[in-house]
Amino acid sequence: MELMYIITIFLVISIIISFGIGANDETMATLYGSKTLRMKELLILASIFAILGALVLGEGVSETIGNNLLSIEVTTSIVLTILISTAIWLIVSSALGLPISTTHATIGSIIGVGILLGGGFGINWLTILEMGIWWILSPVIGYIVTYFAYKAIHKVIINRLSGFRSFEKTEKNFSYILLAVICWTAFSRAGNDCSNAVGIVVGAGAGIDITILLIITGLSFASGIVILGRGVIKNVGTITELHPSTAFASEIPTAVILFFGTLLGIPLSGSHMLVASLVGLAKARRAPTSKGLWKIVLIWLITFPVAAILSIAIFFPINMII
Amino acid sequence: MKLLKEKKNELTEINNEFLAETLAGIEALHKATNQFINDKLYKNELEDVILSEKKCDRIKEKYVQVLFKDKRALPFLVEDRFNILMKLDQVNDKAEFFARFLQVYPFKLYADIKEKFITLCDSCYKTVKELINIATLIETDFDGAYKVTFNVESNRREARKAKFELLDILFKKKDDPTKIYLTSKLVTYIYDIASWAEQTSDYLRGLIIKYPTR
Repeated sequence: MELMYIITIFLVISIIISFGIGANDETMATLYGSKTLRMKELLILASIFAILGALVLGEGVSETIGNNLLSIEVTTSIVLTILISTAIWLIVSSALGLPISTTHATIGSIIGVGILLGGGFGINWLTILEMGIWWILSPVIGYIVTYFAYKAIHKVIINRLSGFRSFEKTEKNFSYILLAVICWTAFSRAGNDCSNAVGIVVGAGAGIDITILLIITGLSFASGIVILGRGVIKNVGTITELHPSTAFASEIPTAVILFFGTLLGIPLSGSHMLVASLVGLAKARRAPTSKGLWKIVLIWLITFPVAAILSIAIFFPINMII
Repeated sequence: MKLLKEKKNELTEINNEFLAETLAGIEALHKATNQFINDKLYKNELEDVILSEKKCDRIKEKYVQVLFKDKRALPFLVEDRFNILMKLDQVNDKAEFFARFLQVYPFKLYADIKEKFITLCDSCYKTVKELINIATLIETDFDGAYKVTFNVESNRREARKAKFELLDILFKKKDDPTKIYLTSKLVTYIYDIASWAEQTSDYLRGLIIKYPTR
């Protein structure tokens, strides 16, 4: 009876957190920004790939996060604290239409609860440091690669176009490639992000079949995209003016780095990479960025401390209930 | 895919239809002015100019509907095509205005300005013809269209020179002030067509320069 009770709570929390992750998923933003697909169409597509990605790729990363971060014994209350605080912060930022890194929110929560219970020794700092390097590197790589990818596409293809019709034709071709690249990104990203929702559960050894958990999180992930994800997609899609060729240039680094990151079990931040890529694109095109960009940067900066504070704040009430 | 292709073809066809009708209108106007200069009947040709403008308006409506139907079209391309159409339509409007003015112009042209007036009308006709050429070329060949913009510029310069020479002659005349005034208006209104055509050509040149930076 107690086990059933724990499993039910875990499932509900997993559903909430994956809903939050889905709500904050901006993978389809460039498809929206470049008008390749309409909102309804891309929400359907996002839902399909969220479920597929969670199922096929989710397992690998889950184990990395769940097992390596905390040096203290992972109890049910710790797991719930981390999941709930992450979910709260994700849903709040999604409601504001701002993309944040789910990984950062999760790690922020883990750090908070780890420090609360084990002081400086509660956290596996080496793993955090190792991940931290990737978190810093991935947006930098995204920015640089997009900058040069745009310049290359511009020099090799766009500069050689002559006439409106060739522009139309080329952009149409880019929109097909972009669609394929984004479906690939959505697929690998769902694997990466859904694993965050289930990873800590796996680490706690709750004994739930991971496949069932991934199916459930995949479905709630899709619901998050459909219900709350529009605002985030709109905000990211309009960071800078996009059309299929430029959107393609900004998606390449995100897609490639994220895919290999997922395969290698590195929890990268797709949000940071994509936003950095779009800023890199704007810089390369000498185009303006949206005025709301500072809000995105601000929420990135406060994600770690806010998630940590949230987890510290809700740990004791949860511990009392469990 | 098939539907998309049909939609694109439809847009191209309507665009070609609009350009052909604009050309027909300006050719009719050219014919009418030549007959007017030679003191022949020109009212039918002027009616053709007015009719062409009406047809162009109808084609324009159709074009705008098809243009904005495609939700996936490149926003900047839709905007630019719309602006080009509106600017070309202004050429038709100015030609129609001149035609209506010529219909009510109650005098015969001064014999001593006929030659210059022919130069002005020819330059105006060439300017619009070249503009239509640019509007056609811009769809497939930026370089070709870019080169033609300079022809428009030189034709407009020629028209401007003829206009001021004509005004110079007219303002020195000691004749019926109404006739002088209305004739000067005649000169100004036909020059306006060439002037607007050059402005449109400049806009197109700007687009050609801007496009590779998109």
